[in-house]
Amino acid sequence: MTTASQTIQGLASAKDLFALTKPRVMSLVIFTALCGMLAAPGTIHPVIGFTAILAISLGAGASAALNQWYEADIDAVMKRTQGRPLPAGRMDRETALHFGIGLSVFSVLLMGVAVNWFSAAFLAFSIFFYAVVYTIWLKRSTPQNIVIGGAAGAFPPAIGWAAVTGDVTLMPILLFAIIFFWTPPHFWALALFVNSDYSKAGIPMMPVVAGRQSTRKQIFGYSLILAVVAIAPFALGLAGQVYGVASIVLSTIFSVFSWQVGRSTTTRPDDMAAEKRLFKFSILYLFALFAAVVADRMIAA
Amino acid sequence: MSDRDQPSTPMSAEEQKAYQARQKHRAIILAALLGFMVVLFYLITIVKIGSGS
Repeated sequence: MTTASQTIQGLASAKDLFALTKPRVMSLVIFTALCGMLAAPGTIHPVIGFTAILAISLGAGASAALNQWYEADIDAVMKRTQGRPLPAGRMDRETALHFGIGLSVFSVLLMGVAVNWFSAAFLAFSIFFYAVVYTIWLKRSTPQNIVIGGAAGAFPPAIGWAAVTGDVTLMPILLFAIIFFWTPPHFWALALFVNSDYSKAGIPMMPVVAGRQSTRKQIFGYSLILAVVAIAPFALGLAGQVYGVASIVLSTIFSVFSWQVGRSTTTRPDDMAAEKRLFKFSILYLFALFAAVVADRMIAA
Repeated sequence: MSDRDQPSTPMSAEEQKAYQARQKHRAIILAALLGFMVVLFYLITIVKIGSGS
């Protein structure tokens, strides 16, 4: 049932505009960007640091709005996304497009004027990558969509780092690589137990195209690469023992859970306990690993 | 007010009221955001002047 306020034409509510920015995803963006900033050598004035995080968040929100503008047709088919403002009919596509472009321009200008133009250019590229390379180009054309698209979500810590130092060195590249290689196991674990939804929407998600068993093997493979990348900062002397212990313990658990997924042969989503466990742990893994980067840096300082 | 701000089909009294309430709500939020940005840019300016950049 719709109310009068839901059917108001041409005037999206503030709540729906906010929902368009995918606030839950934004929390991870804010966290990883903040970690990148806090882990960087050097100092940044709290006001400038706050502005940098705000600009990165607005950039992520802009990307999400442009993503939903383009994917309204897909979102309408999937149960998980049917309630979003566009497929639910609470907003027109033009509003979402204008909001996304406006927010993109504003976030990049804010970063450039207040922080530095290197990180502003980096932010602009990350928005372009998510909205155009991932959403428009790759998501509907290749089962590797998540792998390449994962890069879009991997930019925030490197941008946070660049906000402090004005450049990018090996450590932020490794932080980028951690999220990049974390994304496939994280999303494919989810895609395994919501497989039917992605099939219905016609998205070439790996389980749909290559099958569940191939996806499970790839999840395990990526978890091993992730472990190497996650432990690399410690192994290369870029991070201390706190991070070293955290990365080894967390990556071991991640690999064990991924191995369990790799061994699973179940086809019923209700029985996919290993996949659900890995998906839940993957979120904790990323938060804990990035918290360890910051804790390590704080202790060293 | 531009044409886009006007609904494309006639509205009932209830819809008109809801429309105006939403306009007001959006205006209040926009005003609060603008106020926040004014304060933020003031602080950024102070910091930039203080650091000589």
